Amino acid sequence: MPTALLEKPRDLELVAIHVELDSSAMTDTQPDAGSKPDPALLRALFEEQAIPFMDQLYAAAMRMTRNPADAGDLVQETFAKAYAAFAQFEQGTNLKAWLYRILTNTFINSYRKNQRSPYQGTIDELEDWQLGSAESLTQGRSTRSAEAEAIDHLPDSDVKEALQSIPEDFRLAVYLADVEGFSYQEIADIMKTPVGTVMSRLHRGRRLLRDLLSEYARERGIVAPEPTGSKK
Amino acid sequence: MTDCGCEKAKAELEEYLHRELSDEDFRDVTEHLENCEDCTNEHTVGLTITQKMQQACQEKAPDELRAAILAKLDGVGV
Repeated sequence: MPTALLEKPRDLELVAIHVELDSSAMTDTQPDAGSKPDPALLRALFEEQAIPFMDQLYAAAMRMTRNPADAGDLVQETFAKAYAAFAQFEQGTNLKAWLYRILTNTFINSYRKNQRSPYQGTIDELEDWQLGSAESLTQGRSTRSAEAEAIDHLPDSDVKEALQSIPEDFRLAVYLADVEGFSYQEIADIMKTPVGTVMSRLHRGRRLLRDLLSEYARERGIVAPEPTGSKK
Repeated sequence: MTDCGCEKAKAELEEYLHRELSDEDFRDVTEHLENCEDCTNEHTVGLTITQKMQQACQEKAPDELRAAILAKLDGVGV
């Protein structure tokens, strides 16, 4: 896979794992497994190390697929692929990032094509105004402390709805950075995009999210007291 | 607008929030935030959004899913 190597020259290890995954994850055989690890040991190790990420992966899958049935299927498929490739996972490297990479690939390959909206794929090239972002409006606002307080009062359901409403690539980047705490480089590896694209998606995703959350707060009539006294 | 460091700080707040800045830039922004109410408020908005997301996105996988996954592993060759 020459393109993958060109994109991520510093990430040969993950690329190698990825190639391995793509080519053999769904087959039950392992060619050249000279020193094949004990299956019982591997299973025990997998249950000890990988299975504890189930709740986290399920939460991510819920935000990706937006419904419990698909989220469950996605997590199942992710664990099956991860287990099939677990012998090639290098102990001591980042298992969480490895699992999220499988989850994200699986989602993009099997689920996203069914729900892909027409603009997906070119989302990074859209201008802010096409996304409905109101950066200029919010920037001049003198009530940022009120804005933070209002957002803080929103129910979880509003936050989830806002997250569901932003374009998928933005949502994934924001989720991986803010909820999971992955570094920009890790997100670039997981999403297979340059770090610059990750930063752009994060910035625009968070901008849209902020506008939505502020809008929800206004709709709910949650308006924190303004220190300037300019309240209606 | 006089350059009081706001422009640099605002441009870097997101990376600051995500701990992606170099030590030097991190120190600069921290120092600026201590003296600038406007940027501090802007940072608080960003921080609030992150915290709200972390809180809202907590999920527990259904018990049936756990059982189904463990059962499925039995059928996967390693």
